Amino acid sequence: MGSRVVLLKGVSCSSAMCNSFLSNSKRGFNYFGFPRVTVHHNKVRSCSSTKTLSSLPPPDVTRLAETARIALTSNEVEEFAPKIQQVIDWFGQLQGVDLESIEPSIRADTENNNVRDDVPETFDDRGTMVASIPSYEEPFIKVPKVLNTE
Amino acid sequence: MASTVFRSFQVNSFLLYPVSLLGRKNGAMYCTMKSAQSQTATQEKQSSQAKVSPSSTQSKKLNKIAENFETVIGIETHVQLSTLTKAFCGCPYNYGSPPNTSVCPICMGLPGALPVLNSKVIEFAVKLGLALNCKLSFNSKFDRKQYFYPDLPKGYQISQFDVPIAAGGFIDVDLPLEYGGGHRKFGITRVHMEEDAGKLLHAENGSYSQVDLNRAGVPLLEIVSEPDMRNGIEAAEYAAELQRLVRYLGVSNGNMQEGSLRCDVNVSVRPIGQSWFGTKVEIKNLNSFSSMSRAIDFEISRQVQLHSQGQQDQIVQETRLWEEGAQRTVTMRKKEGLSDYRYFPEPDLPAVILSKDYVDDICNSLPELPEIKRRRYENMGLSMQDVLFLANDKNIADFFDATIAKGADVKLAANWIMGDIAAFMKNEKMTVNETKLTPEELSELIASIKGGVISGKIGKEILFELLAKGGTVKGLIKEKDLIQVTDPAEIEKMVDQVLAENPKQLEQYRGGRTKLQGFFAGQVMKLSKGKANPGLLNKILLEKLKPTS
Repeated sequence: MGSRVVLLKGVSCSSAMCNSFLSNSKRGFNYFGFPRVTVHHNKVRSCSSTKTLSSLPPPDVTRLAETARIALTSNEVEEFAPKIQQVIDWFGQLQGVDLESIEPSIRADTENNNVRDDVPETFDDRGTMVASIPSYEEPFIKVPKVLNTE
Repeated sequence: MASTVFRSFQVNSFLLYPVSLLGRKNGAMYCTMKSAQSQTATQEKQSSQAKVSPSSTQSKKLNKIAENFETVIGIETHVQLSTLTKAFCGCPYNYGSPPNTSVCPICMGLPGALPVLNSKVIEFAVKLGLALNCKLSFNSKFDRKQYFYPDLPKGYQISQFDVPIAAGGFIDVDLPLEYGGGHRKFGITRVHMEEDAGKLLHAENGSYSQVDLNRAGVPLLEIVSEPDMRNGIEAAEYAAELQRLVRYLGVSNGNMQEGSLRCDVNVSVRPIGQSWFGTKVEIKNLNSFSSMSRAIDFEISRQVQLHSQGQQDQIVQETRLWEEGAQRTVTMRKKEGLSDYRYFPEPDLPAVILSKDYVDDICNSLPELPEIKRRRYENMGLSMQDVLFLANDKNIADFFDATIAKGADVKLAANWIMGDIAAFMKNEKMTVNETKLTPEELSELIASIKGGVISGKIGKEILFELLAKGGTVKGLIKEKDLIQVTDPAEIEKMVDQVLAENPKQLEQYRGGRTKLQGFFAGQVMKLSKGKANPGLLNKILLEKLKPTS
């Protein structure tokens, strides 16, 4: 269980939060990378995808950045737009795959329920972790005052 | 234009895939969730069923005009599970621990940390799902709900979106008698597993906020009701029944003050006969059942008033906060369109697969649930007031069941528990398990009184001794020489003595003041140190009081 956890020293909690959109989107697409689609039965897929890539409009990078709470310069917006467009096009390609006879798989690996017992285990390197928080004021993590805008 | 672009991008690439899962072979799931805010969806369904019942609210504030309006209430409840560890890491969770002490790379959202699901979370979700009469999803999964806030270190909450672990159930409720009583059945839309966020404290004057991540990652079950409630009392009783249920099941302590049971209520009002629903308003900060009931009734009357003044356009979709001090709701924030949570399947966790054997085992191990218990007590001949009191608290219900299992008279056992025992518990701030009284001894006490070994009055004295210090009924009777005097000759002797000592009162009695019988009975009882059999005493006393002719 513990071995599954990789603590990257020096990477702080808040920077992880700020980067989460970019890293998630990159990672997300990889994971999404349409998980091995397994054929279960001959059931007909109830919801089929018919859209093709040609119809997908370009991304609104400014709005995407806003959603991720990232400030982008107009140069960066220009730089990112075609890259994100590429990813979208790639999805467009995937949508073109004929999945009529394939039942969707909920997850890639559904063979073993990888769960753990409800046994407490205290993380023994809390000190290092807390020390890497950029703004920590014992005993709290200090953050700019935010009011919910969602 | 710009946002449409994003939307179609999202729908095609993210949502299409999970939505198509609904047609799966497992069959049970036909949940048509469009977003986390479910009331819209369920309200639509409701209207097609045309299930209209006149608003029967208790509040006096709602006068006659309220009769022309119908209220629709739906409730989202978060129940914090009483697991020893968090949902996806082994950090122990104890309410009130010093801030940021129970944290690890997983619940702090550090890069590279991977979640591993606590098996108890599934077990508790299945328990509650079954208890709420839901259909279970034998094959469900976790999803990421993206939102940005400092109490959520990962930048997303691990939750369940389109395939909740349980859905389509109901809960039975008996309304309190003081509000007119009655039985209700409220629909349960869904139950899903998710993780809690940390706690955020806003410094009063400072420009910063403080974060405590102890609670981040603690397992929750979110229970979404159908919009079936019509007034504050019904809503509060729904929440009270959920609390009872999670306590009976042992999945949560259900403590509202500590935030282990949190209810967000959606209220809307519409003129009777109107086919579409009124604008719904969400109320937060409800930390007791009574504040829930009062907040809803306040909100209903606020909305009805706006309607009747032709100002219904001033009812806007927003979140309002209940102010306990001022007894009113105030605007917290207005909703500007639906939140964009960008859900997608959680890649770091495998699917949640339930086997039939696993579910059957849990099903067979469920305790007797509050509703079944209430119906059983009712069939025993107990009054509704007794039934509601006894079944309200699992500890008390267990104590009562154990007492009658020892052969005690059902009604007498109920009376003792609801009367003197409850009073003692209240005074001493104890639960029934913390008192020294055992069900065996209560049963023995009841039998001793019924059998005439001791009087009811002595029984009461013994009871307080048993509650405070413990011991046995037999032991106390022997030790204190409390056996009831049932020898008529002995009682007659005492009556004679009392009459002889009170000639004045005797004269008054015989002159017509028959109320004085109570005085004589009391004197004799005092003389016998409470041990005289009251029936015999009165019989003999009456004989002796008759005028000597």
